[in-house]
Amino acid sequence: MEKLKVGGLKQSLELCQFDLKGVHSSEKIASKVSKLLLSQKINMEFLTYYPHRNSCHQLTFCISQDKFSATSEILKKEGSLPVGWEINSRGQVGIITIFPHQSAIKILGVIMVSWAAQSIPIYGIATSLSAISFVTDYQLIDKAIEVIQDLFQLPEDHAPLKPEIRYCQSDIVKGD
Amino acid sequence: METIAVYWEPRIKTYGFQRITDLALIEFSYALSDIKPLGEIFSKDDLKTLRPKFILSQVTNHEISFIFCLPLKESKGLRTSLEKTSSPTSYRYIHPVSIVFFHGPHFGDRYGIADATFSTLSKVGIKILASGCSLASVFLVLAQNDIDKAEEALAETFEVAK
Repeated sequence: MEKLKVGGLKQSLELCQFDLKGVHSSEKIASKVSKLLLSQKINMEFLTYYPHRNSCHQLTFCISQDKFSATSEILKKEGSLPVGWEINSRGQVGIITIFPHQSAIKILGVIMVSWAAQSIPIYGIATSLSAISFVTDYQLIDKAIEVIQDLFQLPEDHAPLKPEIRYCQSDIVKGD
Repeated sequence: METIAVYWEPRIKTYGFQRITDLALIEFSYALSDIKPLGEIFSKDDLKTLRPKFILSQVTNHEISFIFCLPLKESKGLRTSLEKTSSPTSYRYIHPVSIVFFHGPHFGDRYGIADATFSTLSKVGIKILASGCSLASVFLVLAQNDIDKAEEALAETFEVAK
């Protein structure tokens, strides 16, 4: 059977994930948490926010693995989150992003089925105009990429999947 | 020798705001153990004509929830397909909703973008129905009648390329 064509594939560096859940609150949780992370100069590389699921708010975000402890600490500090909010975290996650030409739902479905068959978990999904990003277990990321490469046809001149340079914007100048 | 380039935008740059209006938001949840059959529903050819403008999924210990934002006429096709095969544990539908989305030259590698976005909308009293940020894009799902006010407020916070 002919493979579905996709425009590209990329993977992230090692990240960690936080899921914050709570009942309806008058506090603006997305604004509050993003302000807390801003105060520590932490970049969120992935975020999903849905405030109405089963009367429950959920904010999920991924940040660099080396910021795990600092972030856990500020979130657990008294008063950081509204009373009763639950914090679940996962170390060692990664993001795989696929650029479908079309048939985004089909590609999503095919990946869900194939990863489930290989016990590769999905911890979150978000789309942008041209891409679908999946959060998965970083220890299984190579296997997850292999499954995708077996399923889809990538362009021949495809760029490297793994990032070669880590960019970061900072207001601090580092000396030699 | 290591060369480090340091840059900082006092006002975050974007390439501008884009909007998609008159969409339906469909939310449904399934037991996590049903992820494979749900994937099979999505893989079927009868859904291949759907062009969702935004998809988000959140996972808990026992459940996977999806939000699809798609044109109203397409939303019926998705609902029918879901009901034909198996029933979601929860189902919700909101119409009309709109999406505002934007991206910028450094969105993937700097902090502060989520704060600038959420604080701006919070200050002007706009409720976010759903949001997803991945790669260098920010997607906001809002009630249709909030979209002008939201775009106006965001355009004051971010620097829009001319």
